[in-house]
Amino acid sequence: MNEPNPPAPAPSPCEYTWAFLILRLFIGLRTFLEGLEKFELGGTYSFANYYQNMGKMAQGITGASFLPLWATRNYAHSLGYVLLLLGAALLLGVKTRMTLILTGLLYVSLAFGLMAVQENEGVAWLGIYVGLIAGALVLVRHDRFGAWPDRRS
Amino acid sequence: MTTTPSQPTGLTRRDFLSAGAKLGAAMLAAPYIARAAPPAGGGDTINVALIGCGEEGRVLLNAALKIPAIRFVAVCDIWPYNRRYGERLLKKFGHDAKPYEDYREMLSDSPGIDAVIVATPDFMHAEHTNAALGAGKHVYCEKLMSNTVEGARSMVAASRRAGRLLQIGHQRRSNPRYIYAHDRLLGEAHILGRVTAASAQWNRAVTEDLGCPAHQEMPEAVLQRYGYANMHEFRNWRWFKKYSGGVISDLGAHQIDIFNWMLGANPTSVLAGGGRDYYTNHEWYDNVTAIYEFPTSTGTVRAVYQVETTTSAGGGYHEYVMGDEGALKISENPKYTRLYREARAPEWDKWVGSGLIIRPGTGEGALPPVKPWEKPRPKLSMVSKSDSTVDVRETAELSAWDMPVVLDKAIHQPHLENFFDAMRGKAALLSPGEVAFATAVTVLKVNEAVAARRMLSFAPEDFTA
Repeated sequence: MNEPNPPAPAPSPCEYTWAFLILRLFIGLRTFLEGLEKFELGGTYSFANYYQNMGKMAQGITGASFLPLWATRNYAHSLGYVLLLLGAALLLGVKTRMTLILTGLLYVSLAFGLMAVQENEGVAWLGIYVGLIAGALVLVRHDRFGAWPDRRS
Repeated sequence: MTTTPSQPTGLTRRDFLSAGAKLGAAMLAAPYIARAAPPAGGGDTINVALIGCGEEGRVLLNAALKIPAIRFVAVCDIWPYNRRYGERLLKKFGHDAKPYEDYREMLSDSPGIDAVIVATPDFMHAEHTNAALGAGKHVYCEKLMSNTVEGARSMVAASRRAGRLLQIGHQRRSNPRYIYAHDRLLGEAHILGRVTAASAQWNRAVTEDLGCPAHQEMPEAVLQRYGYANMHEFRNWRWFKKYSGGVISDLGAHQIDIFNWMLGANPTSVLAGGGRDYYTNHEWYDNVTAIYEFPTSTGTVRAVYQVETTTSAGGGYHEYVMGDEGALKISENPKYTRLYREARAPEWDKWVGSGLIIRPGTGEGALPPVKPWEKPRPKLSMVSKSDSTVDVRETAELSAWDMPVVLDKAIHQPHLENFFDAMRGKAALLSPGEVAFATAVTVLKVNEAVAARRMLSFAPEDFTA
């Protein structure tokens, strides 16, 4: 009878820490720049461009779905600021667990909007982000280098 | 006439209705009158006669009617049905054109004619053109110049003898998009790099033979007097060897002329295949494929021409000039026109910056459309390629670009304008007899090559009239 194979060595806490940090930075950058590009139009960034872009977005979603304009407009007008806030919080490491949960919920809400207009390619992309955020939540206990860390559980 | 005090000055109901009806009719007709009326007393006005009021003659009439300072004074066709059509159309646009059955009578009877447009079947081009030139008229003759090389040569000789202009209807040579492609893209910018190949095609679906409207048949004696065997051959002359050069002449002439022009050379040889494989009641081939060899300044270029009359597959009609850095696909139909950049070529952004070319807004190679809820993409955004490479030997997909030139007129109009401008001494002919003769030689040799079933050679002197 053969000896059983020795179990594979468990990843060290250091590896989990780096894995999470890389994931946090990626999601943070993606979220922050997603918010920033909402202020861009024709190569220039401004608040006027932001409200023009978001107004178009709200009208477009309402025009192609059952969602009312008041809802899409309120959502769209706050979306860019929320993305910037959550993205910056992830990059800096501010209350990362709660920030990840809020970011995940935000991406689910974005996916809902694209589901409503049957934009399946966009839904699939958002699904990938949601998966990454879910993975990050599994690893969040290894969060280090945060400006305002979560309380240790 | 003055109104006496005893006459009533108010309008009666009948007067009012009559005046109203006349005013209404005048308002309806105003656009036509404004568009077509020749300038009164203008010394610059050119008096024009048309020989041949069939399908092509009508196209030319409609294009010419949009040109100012042109007055149609005579119209000639052996078929009363066509002649009446031309006469009535011209009258509608304010031209009092005298109808003739025989062109000889027209030329001797109307000394005021300055120019003659010839739109008759190919086998009559030389006879009509030479007679008009001999009578001192300038001539615009439809392509193909003639169904025989001898006929075409005689036209050039007649033009020289008479000292009159002879323009042949290869109208692409006056199309601003073609001129732009030839002069700017290929000539100045060399945007395609070294031109290495060319192709062109005109594929048409099956068509029924033309019939004759009820009670409009010409007596056989009249037809035979003018050289036609019967009404069926008169109506479908393009398919019979006596009257035409076949599909290579009918459709190919325009596009093979583009080979000669864009490549800046006459061919040295042609290999061709074709046959009458589908239409049993025709004489000419219903499909022809030809391969030419052109000795250009940068090396030999092979040009493939295909014409099919049994299928419209293959993307319509267009000419393709291909180089090692890009390709130009061009057609009279703008939707088939596009520039393609090879992946290995230097970036074309500088040409966009200088205004030479533009990024396509729609169609193949254009950015995917922006969805209603999306903002316009930044200029440098990456566009995902939907097509996948299925073989490692495939080269990168060519990017597509547009030309910043449009033609907002009927496609024949600029060529007619060039002819009339040349008559006034304001322009040089863009398709003079000598140039079109070389094209006729290039085209007609294809039929010889099909019959011979082998490659035939051209000598440089073949292209000299």
